[in-house]
Amino acid sequence: MTEQQAGLADDILENGVAMTVPPGFSIDRRERHTDEYFLNMGPQHPSTHGVLRLMLRMDGENVLEVVPHLGYIHRGLEKIGENQTYLQNIHLTDRLDYLSSHMNNLALCLAIEKAMGIGVPERAEYIRVMVCELQRIQSHLLWWGVLGMDLGAITSFLYGFKEREMITDIFEEMCGARLTMNFFRPGGSFADVPDTFIPRVRAVIEKMKTAIDEYDTLLTNNVIMHLRTKGIGVLPAKTALAHGCSGPVLRGSGVALDVRRSDPYSIYHRFSFDIPVGTVGDCFDRYKVRMEEMRQSLRILEAAAASFPGGPYRSKKYASYNLPAGSYYSQVETARGLLGVYIEADGGPKPHRIKYRSPSFANLSALNDLAVGHKLADLVPIIATLDVLIPDIDR
Amino acid sequence: MGMRHIGYATRTIPKFLDPLPGGAKLVDAIEFVVAWARANSLWPLIYGTACCAMEMMSTGSSRHDWARFGVEVARATPRQADLIVLAGTIVEKMGSRLVTLYEQMPGPKYVIAMGSCAISGGPFYYDSYSVIKGGDRLIPVDVYIPGCPPRPEALLYGIMQLQEKIRTEGRRNPWKIGTLNQAPFGDPLAEAKKMWADLEKSRPAAPPAAADAAGGNGAIDRPKPKRPATEQFAEVARSPLPAPLLDNGTIYAYIIENFPEITLTRQSEQTVEQVRALGQEYLLDLTVPLRRYVELVGFLKDSELLDMNFLLHVTAVDRPDRFEVLAHLFSANQGHNILIRCALDRQQPEIPSLSPLFAGAIWHEREVFDLFGIRFSNHPDLRRLFLEDNFPGHPLRKDFDDPSRVVRRPY
Amino acid sequence: MIDTSRFPATNAIGDFIRATLPGPAAELTNIVLAVLAILTVVGLTPVALIWMERKVAAHFQARLGPMRVGYHGLLQPLADGIKLIFKEVMKPEGADTFVFFLAPILSATASFMVLTVIPFDHHLQVTDLAGGVLYVIAVAGLGIMGVLLAGWSSNNKYSLLGAMRSGAQMISYEISLALLMLLIVLLSGTASLREIVFSQAGTVLDWWIFKFPLFGLVAFVLFLISSTAELNRAPFDMAEAESELTGGFTTEYSGISFAMFFLAEFVNMFMAASLTTTFFLGGFLAPQFGLAPLDRVLDAIPGFLWFFLKSYSVIFIYMWFRWTFPRPRVDQLMNLEWKVLVPANFFLLLVAGLFVAMGLV
Repeated sequence: MTEQQAGLADDILENGVAMTVPPGFSIDRRERHTDEYFLNMGPQHPSTHGVLRLMLRMDGENVLEVVPHLGYIHRGLEKIGENQTYLQNIHLTDRLDYLSSHMNNLALCLAIEKAMGIGVPERAEYIRVMVCELQRIQSHLLWWGVLGMDLGAITSFLYGFKEREMITDIFEEMCGARLTMNFFRPGGSFADVPDTFIPRVRAVIEKMKTAIDEYDTLLTNNVIMHLRTKGIGVLPAKTALAHGCSGPVLRGSGVALDVRRSDPYSIYHRFSFDIPVGTVGDCFDRYKVRMEEMRQSLRILEAAAASFPGGPYRSKKYASYNLPAGSYYSQVETARGLLGVYIEADGGPKPHRIKYRSPSFANLSALNDLAVGHKLADLVPIIATLDVLIPDIDR
Repeated sequence: MGMRHIGYATRTIPKFLDPLPGGAKLVDAIEFVVAWARANSLWPLIYGTACCAMEMMSTGSSRHDWARFGVEVARATPRQADLIVLAGTIVEKMGSRLVTLYEQMPGPKYVIAMGSCAISGGPFYYDSYSVIKGGDRLIPVDVYIPGCPPRPEALLYGIMQLQEKIRTEGRRNPWKIGTLNQAPFGDPLAEAKKMWADLEKSRPAAPPAAADAAGGNGAIDRPKPKRPATEQFAEVARSPLPAPLLDNGTIYAYIIENFPEITLTRQSEQTVEQVRALGQEYLLDLTVPLRRYVELVGFLKDSELLDMNFLLHVTAVDRPDRFEVLAHLFSANQGHNILIRCALDRQQPEIPSLSPLFAGAIWHEREVFDLFGIRFSNHPDLRRLFLEDNFPGHPLRKDFDDPSRVVRRPY
Repeated sequence: MIDTSRFPATNAIGDFIRATLPGPAAELTNIVLAVLAILTVVGLTPVALIWMERKVAAHFQARLGPMRVGYHGLLQPLADGIKLIFKEVMKPEGADTFVFFLAPILSATASFMVLTVIPFDHHLQVTDLAGGVLYVIAVAGLGIMGVLLAGWSSNNKYSLLGAMRSGAQMISYEISLALLMLLIVLLSGTASLREIVFSQAGTVLDWWIFKFPLFGLVAFVLFLISSTAELNRAPFDMAEAESELTGGFTTEYSGISFAMFFLAEFVNMFMAASLTTTFFLGGFLAPQFGLAPLDRVLDAIPGFLWFFLKSYSVIFIYMWFRWTFPRPRVDQLMNLEWKVLVPANFFLLLVAGLFVAMGLV
C-alpha cells in the first residue's frame, strides 16, 4: 500500500537516510546511522478496528513509540447535534459507539430527563436495564470474536457472531433495528417490548451460560492465547486514571470504577452484581474482566427477568422537549466504559452545545504507554483488548 | 463497468480468434466463462469505517455467510481484492485514502456502496463539515444498497445484483443474458403494463358503478390510512437514586472556602443554601477566573476530601462574546462530578493546559484546539486532532461557515 | 526386500512395461508416465485442497461455505483460479521488476520439485533417489528464496517484515524437520523414500508412528508441528499474519503472481502431508491388521488411493490446526523451535540410536 510508504515520501534524504520525523513523535530529528524506521499502520489495516491510523517508530520488530492519528471517521456529530432538536439527537448517539447504541441513547435520555424532571415508570426502568445488559453482552461477544480473529483464531470470530445474532434478534423484534436502535426516549422507550421478550431473554441466558464456557475452552485456556496476552500491554492503575481510561480497561488495571455502582442511574442499584477487576493490568486481565462481565450481566438479566413488572412503558409524552437554560450532564457505563453526555441548553428546542465524552477516546490515549517496548505483533492484542471503536473516538 | 476494465488479453485474443471459423463462438465462450468466474469469486477488501461494517461482518458470519456466493477470502491488502464494500461514512480525511485503495486494486474491480452514508452522506448530509456526500463522488460505484445500516440480507441481495451485472457486462454478451426484450427507446413500462392488463382481465367483474354516483371515484373501496391512536401516558415522579457520599452543598462550601472568587454559573445567589436547594441532580457548575483555573483543578485533584482523580473531558462552548473552556472532573471513588468553567477572550483565546495534571487532557485539549481554535499554553503536542492540518477554520465555532463543505439544514 | 506381489492392482502397468520394453526404455517410460500422473495430481491437488479448506473452515465455523457454483461449491476453486488468471497484474512503484515476478515462480517451482521423489505408489514415482531425503531437504529449502525475494522486491515495509519473519522461521524449522527425517533414516536404514515406505511393510503396527514405540508418536506430532511452521500456515503464519502485516510478503502481489503463491501454499501443504505419510504412515501401503481376509480386501485397493487417503487425513489435521489455534508471536515461535523442538529432536535421535544399536526396531 502506498499509504504505508507515505512516511518515506515526505522525508528529506540525507546521505540516503531519511532524517525528518513525522509529526507527534517525541524525537525531533532522526539520528543518522540508526536502525529505526517509521511504519504506518492504517487507516486501512485489518487490526486497527476500522480507520485508526498509527504511526510507529520501530526498531526491527520492536515498537519504540506509537503516535495515533485520529479523524478518519470524524463526522462532526456535535456540530450536527447543535442544529437538531434534543429528540433528533438520540439517533445521532446511535452512531457514536454503535455497539452500545442503547446505552448511548440512554445517556442522552437521562440528561434530558434530569433537565426536565421527567420520571420513568417501573417497567421502563426494567426494560432499560435489561436491554443495556443484553447489549453489553452483545458488544463483548463481538469484542471476543474480533480479538480471536486478530490473534489468528478466525473461528472464534464466527462463534462470537453466532451468539450475537440471538441478541440482535431480540432487538430487532423490539425496535426493528439490528444496530442503530434509536429505542429509548425521555421517560421510557418509544415502544413496549413484545410478549416474546422475556422468553427470548431467558433463552439467551441459557445459551450464553454454556457458550461462555465453550469460549473458555476455545480461547481462554489456550496456551498460545496466554503467551500472547499475559504480561503484554501492562497498564498501571495510576496511568489509567491519569488518562481517564474507564470501563474494562480501567477495571483490568484493578480500579473498580463502574458508573453503574459509583454513580448509579436507572435502577442498577437494585441489582446485585460484582465488578470484576484485574490485578496486573495486562491484556489477559482485560480479557478476563470482559469475560466475567458477561457472566455478571447474565446475573442481572436473570434477576430482572424474574421480576419483570407490568404497567406503562413510558411516562408522559411532551409536545416539545425544550430544556431550560443550564448545563446538564449524565453518564452511563457502556460496554467500553464511561460515556458522558454534556448538554449546554439555552432554553430553545436545540442544544447550544452538546458534547459526548466517549470512553474509547480516553482509552486509546493510553496506547503509547501500553505498546512501548513490545513487538509489532503485540500491538494487535493491545488494541483488541482496549476495545476501541473509532467512530466513538472521532464522533 | 463496460469497456473500462478490458485488458490486454481481452483485446488481443479476439483479434486472432475472430477470423477463424467458429472462432467468434470460442471468444464468446471464453468471455462467458471468465465473466462467470469473476462473478462467483468476489474477494472483498477488509474495509469498513463505521456501523455498516458491523452488518458487513454479520453478513460474513455463520447465519448469513456470504461465502456461499464466493465472497470469501477477505483480503487485507487491496492488491488481491476484487470488491470494495463502502461500509460506513466516508469523511474528507479518509477520502483520499479510499481513492488510493481503489487505485491499488487490480482490475476488474467492483464497488458496492453500502448504506446511506456511502450513497449520499445519509444522516450526516446536513451540517457536517467533514462527511463526503456519497462514495460515488470519489470512486465509481456499481451497486447501491440503501439502509442505515442495510440488513445483511440486503447486502447479500446487492452482491447478487453485482454478480448479475458482472455476468452480463461482457463485451459481446454471448447467449444474450440480460438483454432487453425490446428496443431501448420503446416504452420502458410496456412489460409492466401488459402484466397489469392481464391482471385486470383475470379479476372478477367490478361491481356496478353505483358508488360513482355517490361522488368521487370511489369505485374501489380503499381503506384510508389511519394514524394509530396516540397512547396517553401519565406523568411519573422521578424516583430518587442513592445519594452520593458528598452532597453538592458540602463540596461547594469546601471549594469557596479556598477559592472565594468562584461563582456559580447562571445562578443569582451564590450561597451554599442555594446549591443545596438546587438538589442533588444539579450539576455543580463553577465559573473560575482564568488566573486560578489550573490551580483550582490541581486543588480538586489533590484534595483528600473531594478526591477528583478523574478528568472526564475538557471542552469549550462558543458564546457570542467569549469562549468558555470547560473542565469536567469526576471522583472515581466517590461518584460526584464538578464542571469548571473559565471564560476566554474571543479574539486571542489562550488558556494554560491541564496536561501536567492529567495525561488524558492532552487529547481533549487537542480536540478543543482543532474544533474551536483555542490555544493551550505549555501543551506538549498542540496539533489538530481530527481534521487535516489545512482545514480552514474551526468548525465548532458558531460563526463557522464553509459553503463548499457544509450544506445547511433547510428547516 | 518386500514381496512385490502384494500390490496386484498397481503392479500391472509397471510389470507390463517392464515385460514389453527393454531395460532403459522401460525406466524412461515409467518416468514419463509418472511425470504425467504427477502433473495431473499437481493440477488437481490445489483445486481439491482449496475447496476442502473452504469447506472444512466453513463447517468448523458453523457455516456452509461456497454453495452456488457446482454441487456444494465444487467449482469454486475453478472460479477463483480463472478469475486470478484474468486479473490485472500490478507492480508497485519502486519494485525490482525482475525479482518481483521471479519470486512467485521460484516459490511454486520449489514445491513442485519435491513431488518428484515422493512415491505415490509402488511404481508411481518419477525417480527414486538413493538420497531422496537429502533431496527433499535441499529442494524444500529453495521455497524460502521465493518468499525472501518477494518480500525484498516489493518495496513495502510490511512485505519485508513478513519475508524476514518467514525466512527466520523456515530456516529454523528446517532444522527440526531435517532431524526428524534423519530419525526415520536412522530407524529404517535407508535414505530412499521408497525404501522407507517398504521398511514399514507389515501390519499397521509396523508403521513408524507405532513401530518406534511411543517415541514414534512423539516424532509424528513433532513432525506435524514443524511442518506446519515450515509451511507458513496458521497458527504459524507469521509471514502473512494478516492482522499484523496485512499480507506479509504477498501484500503487493496481485493476479497470477499471487495465484502462484497461493498455488505454492497448497502444493506445499500436500507435499508436507505426503512426506508425513511416507515417513510415518506407511506411504502407499494398505493398512494391514493381521486378519487375512480383511487384509486381502484392503490390499486390492490401489496403493495411490491409500496414499491420497492418508495424505488428505494429514491435511485435514493441518486445517484443523489452522481453524482452531491463535497465532503465537514470532519470537515465541523461535523459542519453541530452539528451546523445545530441537532439543527434543536430538533426544529422540539419541533414543533411536540406542534402539537401533540394541536391535529393538
